[in-house]
Amino acid sequence: MWKRDEAPRPPQSAAPTPAPAVPEPPARVEATRQPGRDLVNIGKSVVIKGELSASEDLTIEGQVEGKVDLRQNTLTIGTNARITAQVSAKVVIVMGHVHGNISATEKVDIRDNGSVDGDLSAPRVAIAEGAHFRGSIDMQQAKAGEAKPAAAAASTPPHAAPATPHAVSVTPPAASVTPPAAPAKPPASVGAR
Amino acid sequence: MFWNARKSSVVAPPAPAAPRAGEVLTRSKVFPKFLAVVGRQPNPVLLDLGPVVGPNIAFFGERLACKIVIEDVFATIERAAVAGARGALSATLASQFARESASVDGILCWDAFDYLDRESGRVLAARLAALLRSGGALYGFFGTTDIELTHYTRVTVEAEDLLRVRTYPATPVRRTVLVTRDVNRMFEGLAVAESVLLKTSARECLFRKP
Repeated sequence: MWKRDEAPRPPQSAAPTPAPAVPEPPARVEATRQPGRDLVNIGKSVVIKGELSASEDLTIEGQVEGKVDLRQNTLTIGTNARITAQVSAKVVIVMGHVHGNISATEKVDIRDNGSVDGDLSAPRVAIAEGAHFRGSIDMQQAKAGEAKPAAAAASTPPHAAPATPHAVSVTPPAASVTPPAAPAKPPASVGAR
Repeated sequence: MFWNARKSSVVAPPAPAAPRAGEVLTRSKVFPKFLAVVGRQPNPVLLDLGPVVGPNIAFFGERLACKIVIEDVFATIERAAVAGARGALSATLASQFARESASVDGILCWDAFDYLDRESGRVLAARLAALLRSGGALYGFFGTTDIELTHYTRVTVEAEDLLRVRTYPATPVRRTVLVTRDVNRMFEGLAVAESVLLKTSARECLFRKP
């Protein structure tokens, strides 16, 4: 009864193996796949300088300086994150600190303890009690410009296969980050605080 | 039957939540006029001198479809008070607004001038008057009782004519009481369009730039 591992297992197809239960080391870019959508987490000790773009939902807990571009996806800026960048995405959820302009085709949501110093451009903006915000909010231009991204989205099939396995790319002015080939060894260009 | 049908088709707006402890619900006669003036401008720009209030962003976005600029003057005042540098406020306020002159259609001052000394108030008023475009409006209220202020106010717009006023702690300061003549002189270049004395003994004012 207790020796479950010794029991014969049914043959498995080429489906991906489940993620190990052992927690991942923090200093790495990790990809966690959820049913129906992709989600990538950038750990709190990760520092990225350059242009970060992705075609899947992304959660940042680390530091990013430069530019973040997730045109069709949701960007969550976690409580530990410090972003000094121009940010654009479909939905941006801010729980950490952002210094820079944020543009969203759908919504910007600044949660309580979230902090933004910069201008917002989105058709819908939510700012929770306790959030810090300094800048301007433009819901009008975002509404006017909504037609273009929506039309572009309609021409591409939903959940289109990303061009790269993780579909997260960083264009470096100073450093570059690519998805790690070997999970045990973080890439040299990912700096730990 | 006809009347019954009409009655049933009317959807009453949701009643505002009852005020909690420390909150006051205030009916405003002037605020709807401010909204009307700003709403007439094409692509209006609204400057809010209060702390950011989420429901207000949604309200102004839907009602005015405007660009909203947040410049929390109360935070500036509090920083100066904590640093013991209220005397330097006029210089700070003069440089706080990086916008070009005549680039704003509506300004929400709330009760900022109650917390400023006369010189700082004069500097701020002159800067705000310069920021307004021709045809623009400025809304604010001015306390008329000489008391020590221990709280700032945070105003949430519940409806066009209904404001929910809440408080949060402030470094105590004596209110600067401005009589009508002082206010008019401070906002030189603007015309008083409306002035109403509220039950709270504050004077609610709407200024227009000719």
